[in-house]
Amino acid sequence: MPLSSKPRTRARAIPLAFVATATATALLLTGCTGGSTAPSASGTPTAGGTLTYASGDGEPTCLDPHVGGNYPQALLGGQFLESLVSRDSSGEIIPWLASSWEVTDDGLSYTFTLRDGVSFTDGTPLDAEAVKANVAHVQDPDTGSSTGYLALQKVANVEALDATTVRFDLSAPDSALLESLSQPWVAIESPAGLERGIEANCEGPIGTGPFTVSEWIKQDRVILTRNDAYVSPPADAGHEGAAYLDEIVWRFIPDSASRYAALQAGEVDVIDNAQPDTIVAATEQSGLAELDAPRPGSVNRLELNSDKAPFDDERVREAFIRAADVNDGIQSLFFGTAQRSYSPLSSVETTAYSDESLFGTDLDEANSLLDAAGWTQRDSEGYRTKDGQRLSLQFPVSTNQSIPAEQSLFEQIQATVKDAGFEVVLQPLDLSSWYGALGANEYDVVSAPYTKVGPDVLRILYDSSGITPAPSGYFANHAQVNRPELDAILSQASATSDADERADLYKQAQKIVLEGYYILPLYDQQNHFLYRDRVQGLRAMPTVSTPTFYDVSLSE
Amino acid sequence: MTDLSFRAAEQQAPVVDEQRADDRASGRGAGSRRRFRIGAGEALAGAYLIAAVVAAVAPGLLSPVDPLAISPSQAFSPPSLADPAVTLLGTDESGRSILSRIIHGAGPSLLIGASATAIGLLLGAALGLFAGLSGRVVDFAVNRLLEVLFALPGLLLALFLIVIVGPGVVTTTLAVGLSTAPGYARIIRGQVLAIRRSGYIEAATVLGVSPVRRLIRHMLPNTAGPLLALGTLGLGQAIVWASALSYLGLGAVPPSPEWGAMLAAGRIYLTTAWWMSVMPGLAIVLTAMSATALGRGVQRRVRAL
Repeated sequence: MPLSSKPRTRARAIPLAFVATATATALLLTGCTGGSTAPSASGTPTAGGTLTYASGDGEPTCLDPHVGGNYPQALLGGQFLESLVSRDSSGEIIPWLASSWEVTDDGLSYTFTLRDGVSFTDGTPLDAEAVKANVAHVQDPDTGSSTGYLALQKVANVEALDATTVRFDLSAPDSALLESLSQPWVAIESPAGLERGIEANCEGPIGTGPFTVSEWIKQDRVILTRNDAYVSPPADAGHEGAAYLDEIVWRFIPDSASRYAALQAGEVDVIDNAQPDTIVAATEQSGLAELDAPRPGSVNRLELNSDKAPFDDERVREAFIRAADVNDGIQSLFFGTAQRSYSPLSSVETTAYSDESLFGTDLDEANSLLDAAGWTQRDSEGYRTKDGQRLSLQFPVSTNQSIPAEQSLFEQIQATVKDAGFEVVLQPLDLSSWYGALGANEYDVVSAPYTKVGPDVLRILYDSSGITPAPSGYFANHAQVNRPELDAILSQASATSDADERADLYKQAQKIVLEGYYILPLYDQQNHFLYRDRVQGLRAMPTVSTPTFYDVSLSE
Repeated sequence: MTDLSFRAAEQQAPVVDEQRADDRASGRGAGSRRRFRIGAGEALAGAYLIAAVVAAVAPGLLSPVDPLAISPSQAFSPPSLADPAVTLLGTDESGRSILSRIIHGAGPSLLIGASATAIGLLLGAALGLFAGLSGRVVDFAVNRLLEVLFALPGLLLALFLIVIVGPGVVTTTLAVGLSTAPGYARIIRGQVLAIRRSGYIEAATVLGVSPVRRLIRHMLPNTAGPLLALGTLGLGQAIVWASALSYLGLGAVPPSPEWGAMLAAGRIYLTTAWWMSVMPGLAIVLTAMSATALGRGVQRRVRAL
């Protein structure tokens, strides 16, 4: 299944007609892969049964997605926690725990009306005070939130007006607030649960979701049991009332080959992080199906650390990007399951802006740029030098976050940029050592996925404030882009509520990031699920593309 | 005095001859000449090891293809004769030649194996001699220490060391070396004890030969044979262990061609591109088998001396 060489259909400039086609294409794509709604035509879903899920994402150290805030937590948390709002497959924000909301004209105040008759699974009612307690929990430095913390950065105060009405007062207008609130990292948890303290809450957060955490056997599995009193599905769900499944057994199988083997043997029903070669193999095999749900927010890309030599020189960054030949590699390593991207944003974002012309491979151009930048000498191994220093780049690779095909792609980039005289030192690291290397600024190239609903992810990744670490110690602006004009555009985009104006500002921001050669875009954050035929009604949430098992039933 | 001690040692010699005579009489030994004849298996093993050593010393001689050169269009080519230098044993996910990578990987793999064995042997020999020659208390202490180390599987011990020092080729070598040392130490201690109680050492002691001289003149030569045999046997094991550690991502760093690391890289493609792991796996197995076959040969001959 080679990649076709036809140009990508996606919103390039922003004319409305274009947006419309792109949205339609996106809808069509998600439709094809089972992203649309609920049970298939094979009759009424039967209740009952146990579904086994095998995750290749690391086992969270804490099940509360407020703490830290990573994708594995969102995958699991999405089954038992719910957010104020959600997003449908066309990108519209839709009601969830909040049934409606109003925004003041200055964009500084949002008033949410909460859904009636919803209780947490510990019996605590969902009310305005509960929402207030959750925002306080995310913003509490002791919680150590990074993703949720950034999402709620502009929320200055939360006021419980009455039991079901809650007002968010902002320090500055935030056009992305609803998108941010749709994410699992700011899900609403029982205040009684939060009061147990961070450690106890990590073991089993209490939410309003269709399932509850009944047991967590560390290093092995989490058992989720159906919440029979469930009443609060999002507006785009396939049915109402309790979920069909009795139980979900959530296993952790880090090895991709073992995970796929378990699926083939029928030991598990759904696996995530399916590898490109197994996706191809599975689609040729009967009894298995694929759900392709690229993550929103950022695209997968290499970030070039512009804070220190040699990448503080734009010419050297451009030379690296011109020398790196990635298209052939993506084609052969991903077997046509990944499309090359030329945008900072995921293709699911309608505001994504691409510029392919900046990323053509051109070795001669790379060489003359490096000559101009003063890297004129070559040492005995063929690497360029300047003042006796080798043109060497430290590239810490998180083996937890980069799939093997991606690691192979990095090796290929290492081989191709060598021709221009770059030495790339690949360092495969576990997650904590990898964070350590980033925190110590000991990297020149890095690839860090970042998932967020909406184009506001650009503010997190490329605003100069993103160089300062969040309470958890994590910082997101790894390219260390520090451009006042970009900061200005991004805050203007946050402030405007006009959709077209906002889209235009985000386009300008993306232009600055691309034209400054801070990143080398690769492809959408891959998010492929494989499942057995007996699993009916599986879909990915249009928010952060985590699978939801609320509508799922098992057929025998 | 010295004269007498020599005579004492010479008196030992006929015993060995008698043993040989016994062997001959019973028909199982069939004499020294036959003992030293090289069998077909040993010849094959030797030839393979010589090839591996040549590959380790001068890989360019056997494969002109750059083991790091990528060619995405040729990725996942199965073994074929189409372009033998590249595709004889197939190509990997980046279109690199597996043949060339195995040849260029012989150096690091053998070097790690050989250095680790040397470290293990030297350390084991020192510890074994120390225990065997010192008094009861020291011997007891060393023995208990060895027993504790034996309680831990060797690989676990190596992993433990790597966790403390951090991963890398040097650490892997040291870790494998250190974790094989207890085995060698115990065997050598046994050997030393046996020799110490032998007639010729007793004679030398009675005749007042100094301990250092006894060690150098009598003990070491008599432990050298078993040591050599153990070393050749251990080489195979060390290569397998070093590969195992690289396989776990604790040794050689990608994309350097090291057999264990290649095996690990191929693992995820096992169902679609089996040659990526089978070929380096074969290289490891053949090397370990050859080293073991030669080791057994050496051991047999040493015993016969």
